[in-house]
Amino acid sequence: MSVICPVCKKVKKNPVDCARHMFGTGDKPHRAWFETQGLSFIDLLLDQATQPGNKSYELVGGYVEKAQKDLT
Amino acid sequence: MSENKYSVLNTRVHNVDGHAKVTGRATYTFDVTLPGMLYGKILRSPHPHAKILKIDYSEALKFPGVIAVVTGKEDTLGVKQGIWRRYKDLCDEAILTVDKVRYIGEPVAAVAAVSEEIAEQALDLINVDYEVLPFVDDPMEAIKKDAPLIHEGFERNVNVTRQISWGDVEEAFEEAEYVREDWFKLGGQHHMCMETRAAVANYTPDGKLTIYTSTQSAYYHQALLAGVLGLREGNIRVLAPYVGGGFGGKFELDGAQFCASVLSMKCCKPVKVVFSREEDFIASKRRTPMYYYVRTGVKKDGTFCAREAKVFTNGGAYTGMGATALYLTGFFHSFPYRWKAYRYDGYRVYTNSLPSTSMRGFGAPQAMFCSEQQIEWIANDLGLDPIEMRRKNGHYEGYEVPGQATIASCGLDQALTAIQKWKTSKGKLPKNRAIGISAAGFMSGGIFNWFDSPYSFSSAVVTINHDGTVELHVGAQEIGQGSSTTLAMICAEALGVKLEDIKVHMGDTDHSPADLGAWGSRQTLMAGNATKMAAEDAKKQLLEFANAKLGFNIIYDLDIKQGWVYNVARPERGMSYYDLCKEALRGKEGQRIIGRGFYTPRRKGMISPAYSYMVQGLDVEIDPETGYLKIHESVTAHDCGQPINTLGLIGQLEGAASMAIGFGYYEYLPVEDGKIMNPNLVDYKLIRAPEMPSCQVIEIDTYEPEGPYGAKEAGEGLTNPHAAALGNAIFYATGLQMKEAPIRAEAIAKAWKEKNEKAKK
Repeated sequence: MSVICPVCKKVKKNPVDCARHMFGTGDKPHRAWFETQGLSFIDLLLDQATQPGNKSYELVGGYVEKAQKDLT
Repeated sequence: MSENKYSVLNTRVHNVDGHAKVTGRATYTFDVTLPGMLYGKILRSPHPHAKILKIDYSEALKFPGVIAVVTGKEDTLGVKQGIWRRYKDLCDEAILTVDKVRYIGEPVAAVAAVSEEIAEQALDLINVDYEVLPFVDDPMEAIKKDAPLIHEGFERNVNVTRQISWGDVEEAFEEAEYVREDWFKLGGQHHMCMETRAAVANYTPDGKLTIYTSTQSAYYHQALLAGVLGLREGNIRVLAPYVGGGFGGKFELDGAQFCASVLSMKCCKPVKVVFSREEDFIASKRRTPMYYYVRTGVKKDGTFCAREAKVFTNGGAYTGMGATALYLTGFFHSFPYRWKAYRYDGYRVYTNSLPSTSMRGFGAPQAMFCSEQQIEWIANDLGLDPIEMRRKNGHYEGYEVPGQATIASCGLDQALTAIQKWKTSKGKLPKNRAIGISAAGFMSGGIFNWFDSPYSFSSAVVTINHDGTVELHVGAQEIGQGSSTTLAMICAEALGVKLEDIKVHMGDTDHSPADLGAWGSRQTLMAGNATKMAAEDAKKQLLEFANAKLGFNIIYDLDIKQGWVYNVARPERGMSYYDLCKEALRGKEGQRIIGRGFYTPRRKGMISPAYSYMVQGLDVEIDPETGYLKIHESVTAHDCGQPINTLGLIGQLEGAASMAIGFGYYEYLPVEDGKIMNPNLVDYKLIRAPEMPSCQVIEIDTYEPEGPYGAKEAGEGLTNPHAAALGNAIFYATGLQMKEAPIRAEAIAKAWKEKNEKAKK
């Protein structure tokens, strides 16, 4: 299921891929979006980096999925 | 051996600056003395992390012979700089800090005096009040929530992140029939240039600054100094006399260059600053230490499916070139193989330790230590031939690294065959002795322009004098790697003249065209292309005169070879190049013939215009009781495209081997409480001549279409495979899997002991 990045509008192949793109870009607009969702960019980034699995990507992917309806 | 089709290239040539060096006539920055020159010394932080409350230098100023003292707060105002000029957040280093120190050895103030001794004594008279802060010197600790914050605005001390990915990694791991994951730890390494950081700055009342310095890029330093000193680039002249090594450590602005310049501007006198060996250890930069997590999935037949890597680098106190090393380690971790899916997440973390930067190999030696050992272990687990597994998954000519690079020339397959043949020829080795191999690839210059240079990446100007001698002006930098010889050879070949006809001029921003300098193995390809283009431009002008002079039918082509200008169809018909030069200049109203050339890579992907390939074999004997390694033989199968100077090539490869063995085994750089524990040549162990193995190079014949005459990188890439080859030899000799570099003898002995105790139980 392709999704649109809620910040830069790039099309990504699924919500987890989009979350990864948002962490990877990590510029001010992308970080600010995390704050608007009540999330901590850096905490989630480091959880993802230091813990097994894809917990942060999946969590943010869920938020990305919810944001889609406002983007289309 | 096939006949050499070139007159100058592919021959054994001693370096054009060799006589000056071996007879001691070469002038280094250390040797520069100007009339009325003062000597500068730098006061450094004794704390890894502290606020500067007050600096009182009044007593120092009273000391006889002291002329000036400068501080960040009063003189340089904390203007921050960095080599990533396109990204202001990453320009985070003021050099003379204003309010806070972030590592032991950071410059706090500088003194100019009439002698070095007086300047040194005056440092003791400067009183600095510090408020000592909690510090952190390990990246895994620095990312914790309660860790001290090193730079405002960088939460959890994360300095830079980089990601690389292609393919569906999860899906590819599901396809894999065998998955292995490992953590590795890689240490730092000192550049250990024979010449320490040094600068002589001379600011004159007309607002012009001339600086002699040991640099890998005169142009970078001109631009960086202009940025921090508020001068126009054109008002700064950077001269690089002979340079005693760089290895990636001398193209950022350093304390010697900055403090000498600031002191000279304050005193309006020349000021010389030369780092002691200890200063060079604690206050220049180092190879980036890393924690590396690698997960690899393969099919049972050895086909590579997916790889995932997570890397935390110990960035030290400032960014410098570390952001590039963070990307490149992730890119080269995929090399030289085809992965269906690949994912790399890199995190550069600020710590209260010496900043980390680029060093020969630029992140790749760390990547290859992990990758090439894990591949060997996987092959062993699956009962596969590791060489054949590498061959099955290796790059080939025309392969595209998805979204990153296109491989136009690749000798990996031939290199594997050559090493396999050597390995077979060794037969069965005695107990505790084994062969370790490792493959690698490397770039031939970087495409990235984080410096935001408005100039071509490389430029050259060729001027032909009336007597046929040739002035080659390039902005490339000779730092001991033989670039001036390589470029002179390319120029001579392109013009069709003798090598001794060429004079190379470099290392002077007033007289050399701008060039990004010596880093990332860029000079042979980039400056080489610019030189070839300039020489061909000049040659074309000469041949126009020759055509008119010789009066051949216009259908004939002319060429120049070995000083003879001739009709290609009838080579005996022609004239002397030297006579032609005289007449050509007369025909141009006395104007010398000038050719211009430049090179900037276009449409060559994200990283580099070309890639070298190599497979390294090491024959290693291990004393398991002491962990001591004896390297009996080193054999390298190496693809650098068309060799230019075959003698220089061997010198570069042997130099790379010595540094790579240092990274893999000898050169341990421990940091405790933010302090380097062995900042001297007694305790920091460099490889010595008797420990250096005999080195054999097997040259693999390829042609790189983007390179001058088909040439590409040689001498940096070979820093990459040795550490892993050592680890693999230890694995086959003892069964131990060494996951920390350098692989210290103590670690081998300890692991051996533990293994035996476990076996007994």
